[in-house]
Amino acid sequence: MFGLVEILIALIALTIVLAVFFLVYPAATAGPTGKILAFAALFVLPALCVAGGINEHMRRSEQTSFCISCHAMEPYGRSLYVDDPSHIPAQHFQNHRVPADMACYACHADYTIYGPFKDKLAGLRRVYMQYVSTPPKVIEISGGYSNLQCLHCHAGARGFEENPVHMALMDSLKSNQMSCLSSGCHDTVHAIPTLGQAKFWSPVQ
Amino acid sequence: MKLSAIGMGRLLRFSSALIVLGLAVEIISLLWFHPLAFVLFAFVGVALIALGILVYLASLVFAVPSAHGNGSSS
Repeated sequence: MFGLVEILIALIALTIVLAVFFLVYPAATAGPTGKILAFAALFVLPALCVAGGINEHMRRSEQTSFCISCHAMEPYGRSLYVDDPSHIPAQHFQNHRVPADMACYACHADYTIYGPFKDKLAGLRRVYMQYVSTPPKVIEISGGYSNLQCLHCHAGARGFEENPVHMALMDSLKSNQMSCLSSGCHDTVHAIPTLGQAKFWSPVQ
Repeated sequence: MKLSAIGMGRLLRFSSALIVLGLAVEIISLLWFHPLAFVLFAFVGVALIALGILVYLASLVFAVPSAHGNGSSS
């Protein structure tokens, strides 16, 4: 069965064959058929290949396996398997409160109109730090973790809205004045420094 | 502006070569599952393909006067 990537690679291969033809025989564009074929081979098909490539790379960059393929992100990937329900990312990942194959993206994507673009720029900054500059010892989200990312799913949910603690703090939570990750609330997140002592969950294969 | 037939052929060849290179880079980036694959695609592959398309479009613009047999625009 062919997937989208296979179809895209087949389209790229076809475009390469046609482009190589015009590389070898540029005079073929003398006739009307050659002109139309050249327009397809050197404009329409390459543009389609770029659009398909952007789509595939965007889809791929949303996957958990993609995020943790960076060395610096490996412990964050392991933290998703901590066997302790007080660990917020682990609890969400293991109970499929977020799609397991898009766990990082679900909680770290900027859900605004230009969010994916801003996320890509932030991702490129991290790639720069990893390969050109020096990655920081402690990885922190610039500007802190926004409540909007929690509220994207939890706002309007009965369990969230009717919780007496949430009700008392609702304005502060929705205006991001008080973080959901505040001390005493949901303050155990990836907890990388304590990962060595943690017990891990092994999913049934 | 008039371009000779050799010039047109060169532009088409240059455009084709850039597009073939860019597409080859895109295939490599699709087969390599790593954050750097995105960087390779976005900064090398797309740049080569876009430049190839631009060179092809430039060759079309330059081709118009020679198709009419004169260098003037109507």
